[in-house]
Amino acid sequence: MLVLTRKAGEKIKIGDNIVVNVLEIEGGGVKIGIDAPKEITILRMEILEQIRNENVQAAEKSGSDIRQAAEFFKKRLPEE
Amino acid sequence: MKINTRKFGEIKIDEKKILTMPEGLPGFSGFECFILIEDPETAPFCLFQSTQEPNLALIIMNPFLFKPDYKIDLEGFIVARSWQDVLIEDLLVYVVVNIIQGNSEKKITANLIGPLIINSKNNEAIQLAVSNSSYSHQHNILEHL
Repeated sequence: MLVLTRKAGEKIKIGDNIVVNVLEIEGGGVKIGIDAPKEITILRMEILEQIRNENVQAAEKSGSDIRQAAEFFKKRLPEE
Repeated sequence: MKINTRKFGEIKIDEKKILTMPEGLPGFSGFECFILIEDPETAPFCLFQSTQEPNLALIIMNPFLFKPDYKIDLEGFIVARSWQDVLIEDLLVYVVVNIIQGNSEKKITANLIGPLIINSKNNEAIQLAVSNSSYSHQHNILEHL
């Protein structure tokens, strides 16, 4: 892993069209601005981890009784 | 063609309806082909079943049934994928559902930060990661009905 030290206001360029800007450092947090093309997905890592965990849990539970859950859900739906 | 599923055993599917996940399914790398199994008896829940692995299936559902104001940036999503001639109406939105059978009460949660989007024009499915939203990955769907 490449490790760089940057101060607030300094930038890092990645490839041709991604620029990471260290905007502000305060307390234990760093505020970062990222300029990148629209097709580049930028995510907080924990979002991806949550999605992955939910998928794994859902796959484990897919054997559960969906028919019963469906009836249960329909009963709770407000009347049209 | 015929595929094996844990839930329904061997079933016959229309090859033209196979959905591919070019970006993969988080948590299950290597599995790229899925089929949507809709059964009137389990509606509104459907199964997103791997055509490669019988044991890999996720329960998914239409989020608008329990959250009519659910919003994701589908226009930006289309632009980011450089899909030509694809309209918002061509996209189907589902969310992954977890049915938790407690001792006394059943809980059903939906992951609103990882919607599964199916492009009905090219049969691609992509699980989008939604950043910067107040949505939960464990939205209790019964509580908010």
